[in-house]
Amino acid sequence: MRHGKALLGLLMVGILLQTVAPQESIHKARPALFDPNRKTKPVSAISIGPTPAMIAALGGFRTVAADLLWLQAERVWDGGSWWALLPLLDAVTQLDPHFILAWQVYGWHAAYNMHAESETVIDRRYWLARGANILEQAVEANPDNWEIRFELGWTLYDRAHEKKRAAEYFYQADQMPGAKSYVTRLYYRCYEGILDIKDLMPALEYAKKRHTDLAKSDDVQHQVIVNRDYEWWMKHKDDPLEHRRQIVIENTARAQRSVPFYLYPDDPYWDVCPICGLPSKKGSEVCEVCGAPLKAPSQRGPATRGEKKT
Amino acid sequence: MTPQLISLIGAVVVVVTLALTRRVWAPAIVHAIPSVWRIAKITVAEARRRRVLQAVVVLVVLILFSMTFFSYLSPGEQSRMLINGGLSAITVFGILLAIFLAAFLIPQELETRTVYAILAKPVKRFEFVLGKYVGALIILAIIVAVMTAVLVLVLVLQDAMVKDLPDSTFNPNLEGVLFAALMNYFAIAVLTGLIMLISTVSSTTMTVISSFIIWAVGSLQSTIHDLAEHADTAATKLLLQVLYVVVPKLENFDFRNEVSNYLHVSYMSGWDALLQGLGYTIVVLILASIFFNDRQV
Repeated sequence: MRHGKALLGLLMVGILLQTVAPQESIHKARPALFDPNRKTKPVSAISIGPTPAMIAALGGFRTVAADLLWLQAERVWDGGSWWALLPLLDAVTQLDPHFILAWQVYGWHAAYNMHAESETVIDRRYWLARGANILEQAVEANPDNWEIRFELGWTLYDRAHEKKRAAEYFYQADQMPGAKSYVTRLYYRCYEGILDIKDLMPALEYAKKRHTDLAKSDDVQHQVIVNRDYEWWMKHKDDPLEHRRQIVIENTARAQRSVPFYLYPDDPYWDVCPICGLPSKKGSEVCEVCGAPLKAPSQRGPATRGEKKT
Repeated sequence: MTPQLISLIGAVVVVVTLALTRRVWAPAIVHAIPSVWRIAKITVAEARRRRVLQAVVVLVVLILFSMTFFSYLSPGEQSRMLINGGLSAITVFGILLAIFLAAFLIPQELETRTVYAILAKPVKRFEFVLGKYVGALIILAIIVAVMTAVLVLVLVLQDAMVKDLPDSTFNPNLEGVLFAALMNYFAIAVLTGLIMLISTVSSTTMTVISSFIIWAVGSLQSTIHDLAEHADTAATKLLLQVLYVVVPKLENFDFRNEVSNYLHVSYMSGWDALLQGLGYTIVVLILASIFFNDRQV
């Protein structure tokens, strides 16, 4: 009998030892669960949520807690309490870092709504940076998702006017499976606004080679738009009036967003006024619009942005 | 020592032990199969008479259908909520039923003294424990299957309702849902084995309480693993590591996050979880048989 129990003990030890390799392989295959260096932080913000969400999170139902808080966020949104929405969305994204829509709404809410609500330039810049930072965290948590990279690219492109960084994210998103054709087009549009002709033309060439399945209506539309833009830029890339038009569009948009003007240091036709952001003919001593003094090209430093002083 | 080497040593130990004892276990298994099956059938028949099980299944069906009330959400949000909420409902109610079913199976037999009538027959005690376990697995399989079928039906109906909407992103992800529900069932099976082990050595109340604690800790195994990795003191690290090894890794079976967020589902991980859970369950059932054998009945 004693031998029997000893052998059973040995058998149990053997069985338990056998489970070590499968567990190790689970650790490797599911880094979201077992990676000790994972980026998600402990959820302290859960305490602001309703009690069912707290219980669910503590019982190993983090994604259910995220859903419950998301439903509450919808109610808060409908009630117009925009500030109250921030900790809720923070909790949702920490509880479920793969909830793409929550990240998108969180980043958008900071970079658009909170930015628009702000009354000072400092506050607006803070919310822009916060929105981009939220989406950077989202990219880190979801490296294989094109939508979140696109969202970050779009926020940098449309809101922060950091066109070169936006182009990087659009390009990365475009390389991922499932990315739509508008991502490819936005990639080259980033270079249009800042008149980076050196990068624009290869980007247009790249866009022409993408989405070429003419059996799909979306691809046909893509090809029509890209070819039209390609021809336009082939014709107008050295046209001073087109350069002027782009400078005015870009810096007007930047003024509306309280983003510093882009001074187009390498533009061959125009000097841009750091005060009003509008172009004057190359070599002008003063701004043709506001009369502010313009630095001579030789005195101008490396490509920097001016500050809007209002 | 690499994990693969440890597992290889384990395999060698198992094979050698089984080879040495083949004259004992081979006839015992042949004898056990009909007895285990008979006890399992009786367990299922008894469970069918329990109204509470049927009531819980009806409740879950109502909950799953009521989740279609989230129609004010976008189709993409709806599918996420339905999948996540539905699978979570199956997990919660499946595990609750497992706890209240398994915790009472053996103690009730002892309390009503029906166990004497069974053990008076040529039925070994390990066959009795195994029969009860198999019976519980059959009941829980039926319950989980019914709940999964209802969830799939709700997803298909909701998909049919919203698929014609412009830019509808509703994705029922039926393959993922079925896989997650199956893994869920394996988690319930592992927990049921452990509950039966506890029920052989403690009172029903203690079994129920400890089952809830084990469920909570087993669902947070990755957190315990992380905490053990970053523990400040050696004693804390040891305690957490013991907890990590002893408590079943229910989180291994949890694929709700991947399925509801449409992430890549590693089916190989499911297989690994199954192997790991199977080893754990065999060990707890052997222990349950030993403890029940030593118990004065």
